[in-house]
Order: sequence, then structure tokens, then C-alpha cells
Amino acid sequence: MGRNLRLENLTKEFGTLTAVDHVNLEIEEGEFICFLGPSGCGKTTVLRMITGFETVTEGKVIFNGRVINDLIPQKREFGIVFQSYALFPNMTVEENIAFGLKVRKVPKKTTAERVDQMLDLVGLRDWRNLYPAQLSGGQQQRVALVRALAPNPQVLLLDEPLSALDAKIRVRLRAEVKRLQQELKKTMIYVTHDQEEALSIADKVVVMEKGQFRQVGKPIDIYQCPNSSFVADFVGTSNFFKGYRTDDRVNTGKWEFRISQKGFLSGEEIFLAIRPEKIEVFKYGDLPKDLEPSNLITGQIDVITFLGAAVRLVINIGGEEVISDVIEKEFTQRQLKQGDKVFLYFPPDAFLVYPAKEGS
Amino acid sequence: MNQTEILKDYSTPSTLVSDRWITGITMGFLLAVLIFFMLYPVYDICKLSFFKEGIFTLKNYVAYFTNPRIFRSLTNSLYVSIVTMVITTILAFFFAYGLTRTTIGGKGIFYTVSTLPLIAPSIIQGLALILLFGRNGLITRYLFHTDWNIYGATGIIAAECLYCFPNALFILYTTLSAVDTRLDEAAQSLGASVLKTFYKVTLPGAKYGIASAAVLVFNLTITDFGVPVVIGGNYSVLATEIYQQVIGMQRFDLGATISVILLIPSVGAFLLNYYLTKKSYALISGQARPFLQPSRPFKKWAFTIYCWIPCAFILIVFASVFVGSFVKTWPYDFSLTLRHYNFPSLGGHAPLWTKFWASILKGEWQSLIAYKYAPIWNSLWVSILVAIGGASLTLLAGYIVEKKRPKGDQVLYTLSVLPAAIPGTVMGLGYILAFNKPYFFIYGTFWIIIINIIICNFTLGILSSIANLKQIDKSIEEAAVSLGANPITTFTRVVFPLTKTAFFSNIAFFFMRAMTTISAVIFLISAKVKLAAIEIIFLDIDGRTASANAMCTIIIVIVVGMLFAMRLITGKTGLKGMSAST
Repeated sequence: MGRNLRLENLTKEFGTLTAVDHVNLEIEEGEFICFLGPSGCGKTTVLRMITGFETVTEGKVIFNGRVINDLIPQKREFGIVFQSYALFPNMTVEENIAFGLKVRKVPKKTTAERVDQMLDLVGLRDWRNLYPAQLSGGQQQRVALVRALAPNPQVLLLDEPLSALDAKIRVRLRAEVKRLQQELKKTMIYVTHDQEEALSIADKVVVMEKGQFRQVGKPIDIYQCPNSSFVADFVGTSNFFKGYRTDDRVNTGKWEFRISQKGFLSGEEIFLAIRPEKIEVFKYGDLPKDLEPSNLITGQIDVITFLGAAVRLVINIGGEEVISDVIEKEFTQRQLKQGDKVFLYFPPDAFLVYPAKEGS
Repeated sequence: MNQTEILKDYSTPSTLVSDRWITGITMGFLLAVLIFFMLYPVYDICKLSFFKEGIFTLKNYVAYFTNPRIFRSLTNSLYVSIVTMVITTILAFFFAYGLTRTTIGGKGIFYTVSTLPLIAPSIIQGLALILLFGRNGLITRYLFHTDWNIYGATGIIAAECLYCFPNALFILYTTLSAVDTRLDEAAQSLGASVLKTFYKVTLPGAKYGIASAAVLVFNLTITDFGVPVVIGGNYSVLATEIYQQVIGMQRFDLGATISVILLIPSVGAFLLNYYLTKKSYALISGQARPFLQPSRPFKKWAFTIYCWIPCAFILIVFASVFVGSFVKTWPYDFSLTLRHYNFPSLGGHAPLWTKFWASILKGEWQSLIAYKYAPIWNSLWVSILVAIGGASLTLLAGYIVEKKRPKGDQVLYTLSVLPAAIPGTVMGLGYILAFNKPYFFIYGTFWIIIINIIICNFTLGILSSIANLKQIDKSIEEAAVSLGANPITTFTRVVFPLTKTAFFSNIAFFFMRAMTTISAVIFLISAKVKLAAIEIIFLDIDGRTASANAMCTIIIVIVVGMLFAMRLITGKTGLKGMSAST
């Protein structure tokens, strides 16, 4: 136990650009970590420093208690899965998987066993003699996955492995990666810009922006309690209001909301954020009685988008647009239509509050 | 089964050689080769032209510019090069236009025929024109009974146009097929006439490609040696003048001076071309589509006829030399004979070959196969070694420049592309000056010839290697490394198999160049080591034109044979699944 990976003040500069800015993280053995962030936030650079393909400007990558900054990639024994699959086009599926074993001079018999084992892991036994170009994208990425796993790496690093695939296959493979991780109990570090992917797959999510770690935590914590307006905006969808606070009231100019979250100074400029599914939508008439009156606002449905299980409404409230997600059942029951005049209710405890000066 | 158990003992690769170390040594080696075999000879030429007994002097240049007979070689060179440039560029442009922008039939035939001049020494154009328009030309003497003949500037220009045609065509073809044809359609839909569209849209879109082709033709012509030496007559140009001064008069200093003068336009043309190519790439739209609307019948016929003209000329060139080698006395007696293939005793012998055939053959056949055909065997042997060596070195250099990018990779790149700027005759003379020393043991052997040909053609080799390596996704190599492969395994097991096709086409290229090159190696052959392409010149100078044709035919047959063999090899390797997944 204890083969953990630690990043200490890890920094990467490209000329004057700081791609990764003094980040710290502890990854336990067997943990599934996901780096999530917009493109250009430095997540791939962190990954490449861990793999050894990128040099470290400052700070340390520590594996198993040893600083590995200067260790060449071959010696790190980290498996990598690339976005472009990077299968060797001149080798068959079998040869691809065996490659990492052959270069280690593993005996033929052991190699053959291991290859079989790997093929079974992803159900590609029948495809073993085909070339990568003869496989579908999803199959290719499965091969890439077990090719990286075959030499039994200490850590498996996946760099946007699914983003070249189409939506359905992406979701299926995502589940497969998760299953493999749980079965093999392998430490995995996964990079993606797709928040849904990150939230659904990882034990721990690291949200990155501009080379820094904004928030590290369990997916559910990140979603429910984003610690900054950036995270609230980037992970999931949020509606934002800017305003000034007095006691439990926030004045946004047009409205005055009551909020239940405490801890901010009076008079401070703040951002209020609220998730679309927290906003309740009522037609005139079926309004419950016990609502906080100041958090009830009238509006008009502008756009209706079916998302499947939920329905997304874009509602115009006095010139501003608010997004609200209603589950499909409620949507049908309430007979909401485009152009309808509706009441919007913002529950006081659903608001998240952030200082305005951090920007959004 | 426990996943972690199986591999426990094997998880650390046993031998790991440092990547940087290997890259460093390889790069050092390549740099040393290029500096020693390219820069050093050129440096020696400059030194000889500017220094006399260690003192800086311009005496040589004064001598050059004040001797009207020698000075004329400069103006002559410029004249033929500029005229050839204009004619060839225009001819090739419309040819390329026909192939890329019209829907004429037979494009494949046109393209193939137009590339034929590349498989023969440039001299073939000269030989053919002499057969047709020379003093005993089929057309001049036999058909029109005129005394006019083609020797001199006219002949050089005509022959160079044919020789440069495919080179210009390559560039213009690429340019015209890359420029978006929808721009033309858009212009016409906005009401522009066909001619106006051509002037305002098509031409400006291709301007850098046109300029680049023109510059290349200029450079090829001004540096060519083979054509002017057989068809130039008394019309002296820079490349032949260098040879005259050095071999004829033993005036190495004047030869070096003329070399420096020749270097100026050729290096200038090279730099200009480099600049133009960059510009030209910027104009290529990623959206370019090859879809073409059917051309109108008139346009189709006009371009079909037009395209047949250069093709017909090229075919006539090859046919005349071919026929000329098999008939008794061109153009008077067309009865067939093989006697021109019984070359006069050329001297020289070839390693392995001569000994082997001399031991098993007797009399007439012994002298023919063992001795008279020795230059051919030499050429073949040299070409095979050049092909393997050149293709490997340029692949290695390309790999370092494109994929490894160590410190100083730009120096390696610059040195690698520089040979194209140095005319062959200059390089040849430089080799004499630099290496004709008793302690330099490979001088006078065919190893120096092999090195020279590889260096002279390094540019195209490395450029095509780089273009090919660019297509290999960086993560493929990283995948191999992350799986534990060392740099050598990564290269041999992953990178090399993926560049195989390019490697084989480089082999073909170097082989072709080695079989057909004349200008540099003419300085390097010796009484013992002779080459087939050079023998064409000596046979021709001796007045044995028919045998020169025969030698030329043999070279073409060998090159064509090699191209077929290559196709068989690359076809059989299958390279299945090569359409990389990335």
C-alpha cells in the first residue's frame, strides 16, 4: 500500500506563459481522479508532467515517496491512453497489446496469456488479428486501453480518451473504463473537458482553470457546493445574479431575494448562483401557499428545449433570461407552453453566494 | 487470476539507453558528415578563388571579367537560363492547368509521359535533338536537306526545356490542385468572364507556385552540365567552363572563381525558392476540393491537343535515342544492329564483377562483359549503395529534425537543405580541391562518388522524409515510449515501419539520381572507376553517338527495372492497415 502519487507546487512555464501554476495534489493508490477544465487550462500539461513527456519547471512529482521529476518516461511505468488512440497501425490488435510486454522481454508464454486476459477484459478476442484501421473508433480505444494496461502499469493516465468518439459510444465506454478501474483497483488519472464525463466516472474531481486547481472533491460535492462562481458556472449550469447584500436580503437592482446562506458582510457586492433544477415554475393559479413572497417572480416562457428526462425552459424575467429545468413529468402535468406567463420561485436555501470580485 | 502477479518480475525494462544520448550522437554524426563533405569543399573553392599563396586577392576575378571569351560564359548562362525559364514555366503551367482544372481524358498518360525525363540523364535530350536536328539530323539533313543545325544556344534551350519540364510541372500541379476551385466558380457566378476569372482569380492564386517553378527551372538550367556539353558546341556556359578550365587547362584557380560566380545565382535562386515555397503553402486552402465541373467541348479538345505537344516531344526524344542505338547508321541506314552495344574499350574495371566474368568467360565475351560493361556494373553498384545510404541518412536526419528537435536542430536542417543550392560541378570541383590528397584514402575510389551523390541530393531526400514523418501522430511514439520501448526499439519497430513507403520512394529517388547524375561525379571518376552516365559524354565526344545512345538506353532500362522492382516490393509488403487511425 501507499504507492501514492503526490504533486508538490508543480509548475510549468512555456516562455512567459504559466501553463500550470503551483498545484498540489495527493492521489491515493487505487483512486480514480479526474482533471476537469476548459481547453487550455493546463490539465493535459499536468498529465504530461506526470508521464515525463513534459519537463517540470518548478515543484515535484513524487511517486511512492520518490521524486521522479527527472525519471525518463520508460522508467515511470505509467500506462497512457491517448485521445487519438495512438495504436501502431502496422501491428495487429494482438501485437499492439503485446508490445509493452515484448520490449520488457517477457517470456512468450506469459505474454500470450496476458494478451488473452487483456482481450477478454474488453471482449475483443475475435478481433485479435485485425489491424487498427479495420476497427471502429470505440474498439480502437478499447485496444488502446488494454494495451496500456498489459504491462501492469503502476498508474494509468488517460488523456481525453473518449472525446474522439460519438456520444453513445462515449457513454458506453465511460462505463467500461469505470468497471475496469473498479475491477483492477488501479490508480487512474483521467483528463477531460466534459463535465458530465468527469462527474460520472471519477472518485475525485479536480476542477482546473488557468493553470490552477479551483476545487478538488467528490463529484457530488463539486456539483452541490461549488466553491467559486467559476466552478458553479463550469460544472453544470447556473443562473447568476449580481447584487448587494443586507442581512438575509440581496438586492439585485430589479429584485430583492431572501437567501439563507450566511457569512458575507453587509453591503458587499456578491454573485448569487442557482442551479436550473432548483428554480420552480408554476402557472398562475396552482401556486402553493407557503412560499417566500420576495423570491417569487413573474416571467414568460421564451424557449422550450426537451433534454429527455428533463425539459429546459428559458424564461424571460423583465428583460433577463433565466434557465430552469423541470422534470418531464411535471412539465406535462403543468401543461407549460411557449409564451405562457409563469411564476418562478427561487428557494432561499438554493442560492449559492460568491464574492463578486473573483469575477466570472 | 491476480492481475498484478503475472508481471511482477518483468516490470523494469533491463536496458535503457538514454534518448538524448542517442539523439546527440546521431546528430553529431550527421552534422560532421555534412560539414566535412559539403561545407568544407565549398570553403576550399572560395579560398582558392580569393587567396593566392595565403594573400587575399581579386586577381582571379579580374582575370575572369577581363577575358571576354571566358566572361561570355556568364552572359550565355544567364541568357539560356532565363529563356528556358520563361518557356518552360509557361508550357508547364498550361499543362498543369489542363491536368488539374479541366476534365480532359488521359490525364494519367499525360502525367506519366511528362515525368519520363526524370528517369534518364539530362544528356538524353541533347542526344535526341542532335539525332533529329544535328549536322546529320533526321529532320535537318534527311528531310529538309538544310545545313542549319541546332548546336549552340537554341539546342541548349530546347533540351533544357524538355529536361526541366517535369520539375516545373510538379510544383505547378501541386499549386493548381491545392488552390480552391470554388473561388473560380464564385467569380464566374458573380458575372466575371472566363478570361477575367483566369487573370483575376486563378493566376493570383497560383502566383507563388508559378514563381517557385520558374526559379527552379532557372536553377536547374544554370547548373546543368550534361546538356550544354553535348549540344552546346562552342557556346560556353558557366558549368562547362568550370570543367574546361579545370580538366582542360588545369587552371584550378579560374575554375574555382567561376564556381563562386555560379554559386551566386544558384544560391540566390535557392533562397528565393525557399521563400516562395513558404508563401505558397500559406495560400493553400484547407478547403480545397478536387471536384471539377465538366469542361466545355472546345476547352477539352484544346487542352487535349495542347497536352499532347510536350508529351509527343518527350516520347520522340526517348524513341530517337532508343532507335538510334539499334540502327546501323542514323539517319541513312536504318537496318537493325546490336553492334553499338559493343562499346569501345573504355578501360576501368569494377569490383567483383570484372574478376568474376573474366574468370568464367573467354575472348570476345570476356572483353565485352567483364571490361566493356564494367562502368555499367559500377553505376549499378554505386546506385544501390547511394540508394540505401541516402535514404537511410535522410530518414535519420529528418527524424531528428522533425521528431526529436534537439538543440541545434535548425543547424542540421539548414545544412541538410543547402546542397540543393550548390551546383553539381561546383561540388565536384570542391571535392577535388578538398580531398585530392594522398592521406585521403577514399579519393579515387568509388566511395567518394557515393558520398558525393548522397550529399548532392540530400535536400530532396530529407524534405520528403520530413513531409512523411509529419504525418505520424506524436502520440504514437509516446505510446511506444510509455509502454517501455527504448529509443532504438521505438524507431525500428514503430517509426520506421510507418515511414516505409516514403523510405522506399527515397530509395528509388536516390537510385535514379545516382544512375543519371553527371555534373559532380565527372570530376571524381578516375581511370579505374568509371560510370555509365559519364561514359555517354565521352562516347559522344569521341563521335560514337550511336554507342552513347546505347549507353543511355541501358541506363533507362536499369532505372525502369528498378522502379518496377520497387513497385513489386512495396506492393508485396502490403503495408496493410497503413491508413493510420489518427
